[in-house]
Amino acid sequence: MSKLYTFLKYFFITFWTVFVVAPFLWAVSTSFKDFQSVNSKVTYIPWLDFEPTLEGWRVLIKSPAKGGVDIVEPYFNSIFVTCTASLISIVLGTLAAYALSRFTFKAGFVRNNDITFFFISQRIMPPIVLSIPFFIFLSTIGLLDSLLGLVVVYIVLLMPIAVWIMVDFFNRVPKELDETALIDGCNPYQAFYKVVLPNSIPGLIVAGMFCIIFGWIDFFFAFILTFTEVQLLPVKVVALNSSITPWWSLSASALVSVAPLIIVAFIVERYLSKGNLSGALK
Amino acid sequence: MEEQMAKIDLSNISHTYNPLDPKPTYALNPFSMTWENGKRYAILGPSGCGKTTMLNIVSGLVRPSKGEILFDETPVTDLKTEDRNIAQVFQFPVIYNTMTVYDNLAFPLRCREFTKEKIEERVKAVSDTLNLSSFLNSPARKLTADQKQLISLGRGLVREDVAAVLMDEPLTVIDPDLKFRLRRNLKEINEQYKTTLVYVTHDQNEAMTFAENIIVMDQGEIVQVGLPKDLFEKPKTTFVGYFIGSPAMNIFHSTVSSDHEVKINDATIKTNSNLGNLKDKNVKLGIRSEFIELAEKEKSNTVKIKLTRVEDFGNFKLLTGKMGDLVIKSKVEREKPIPDGELNLYFPPEKCCVYSDEKLV
Repeated sequence: MSKLYTFLKYFFITFWTVFVVAPFLWAVSTSFKDFQSVNSKVTYIPWLDFEPTLEGWRVLIKSPAKGGVDIVEPYFNSIFVTCTASLISIVLGTLAAYALSRFTFKAGFVRNNDITFFFISQRIMPPIVLSIPFFIFLSTIGLLDSLLGLVVVYIVLLMPIAVWIMVDFFNRVPKELDETALIDGCNPYQAFYKVVLPNSIPGLIVAGMFCIIFGWIDFFFAFILTFTEVQLLPVKVVALNSSITPWWSLSASALVSVAPLIIVAFIVERYLSKGNLSGALK
Repeated sequence: MEEQMAKIDLSNISHTYNPLDPKPTYALNPFSMTWENGKRYAILGPSGCGKTTMLNIVSGLVRPSKGEILFDETPVTDLKTEDRNIAQVFQFPVIYNTMTVYDNLAFPLRCREFTKEKIEERVKAVSDTLNLSSFLNSPARKLTADQKQLISLGRGLVREDVAAVLMDEPLTVIDPDLKFRLRRNLKEINEQYKTTLVYVTHDQNEAMTFAENIIVMDQGEIVQVGLPKDLFEKPKTTFVGYFIGSPAMNIFHSTVSSDHEVKINDATIKTNSNLGNLKDKNVKLGIRSEFIELAEKEKSNTVKIKLTRVEDFGNFKLLTGKMGDLVIKSKVEREKPIPDGELNLYFPPEKCCVYSDEKLV
């Protein structure tokens, strides 16, 4: 029984690993191929099956004028928009979540849970519903096709995630912790940032991770709300496609797009394995 | 800025958690009380009787619906928790997970901007008392539950100048051996530093061994305040009689038959209470099982019972008997021979308490 279990366990792990890693290996290998090696016959191993070339990578940093596509600027645009929006969402979302967790609000029939649900409901709505209002809103205030406009929109998209995760997290931090801090001589603000906040780092990391992921992978709003001035990475990657599919540069750009998320995953994983996040993820 | 230990006055305090309701329910009914400086108090009562609310009102976590709190005659009702100079320890360990044990203990002093030397001196003293010295540099979250509770306790005791240390069933998570030692430590601390200690518990033994004064509460009401001896011998209400002592006080329905006598079934019991104006009324007679004596033969103030059970507790025997449908419990010395079947029990008149409307006559 236990042997069978061990066998199944390792079999499943191996299967899953191959399932996850194979596309990456495929992308890595393809990114070093040229037109010939992709289209003539099936090839796998560099130098043996095909002659590797850096052309797929080179076009990514060449300016369009020189026959390249230049994803460097969109790349940094994406980093800027994602990080700024995530940071602001986390700061505001954490404060909102703390208030929702610790105080009782009452306005008509609206209670704390309704407010929390209001935040989450932003994510339940199909994004297309929001696209026209956002478009009109940004064009009215003159922020269409600008980084700032994207940051504003992304805050709207990411803050519900931060609020949702942090409310749940704060609800599991006993209120006696805040009370003890008050009794020990902190004022309510000190109690929050000296005691409650350091205790909530696992929650903040999880919330931050989700914000970064959702901000980074968004294509829809980046596509609708920008034209020529500003472009974000997902839009630019899609724009790489043409009548002859450039598999090599698409693969290369896919790899560089995923890289930041892999780094984030490694950082968070360190916390996960320490058991610090067990409470935050439940 | 630092106030010294203080006398605490609670004047006409009452509290409700639903003040906007047309018919608010009171967690605490109006009461007044004074906690003298440097004494040990225990608040005793079943769960949900308002003990914790009372502590939270004193520490400022809850603002009373009505009434005033004074520390040394100075009103502090509107003062925030952080300005009140009160220490409070909760039932379950509350520690700052991200800090070391040392930083945990030093935190209340750092918040109040004590000098580094002073902090070091106090943390050392407190950690010695609580056996935490060898853990000072470990992260607090790595400790066991009872060590964590010691940290909570330590944070309460680290400030010498607190008006009072309020403890809300602080020893629940601590194992019995350590519990005993800690209670003694708390007593020593109280005697040494003259810190007022207020101790909430639902365990009467804990209250009896710890406190000089016991406050018994029931359903938001203070039922009796007194020394352990008074609570035991002269419970003011039948509730206190039931609640204090193990087994609970024997309480019988009875009728007043003369100025000093009541009738239980057929037996007439003489008491020291003056029952002149309660003639023929229904009252209750209470007597502790400890005070009921075995009688050789029938005489005045004895009742005849049918023995139903004898339990040997090692240091004493607990007899349970029936008189009609009334159940009587009596504690007797272990060595005493117990006759089978029927036996006579003597009720000493000075130990009999008579209750009319559940209150002591």
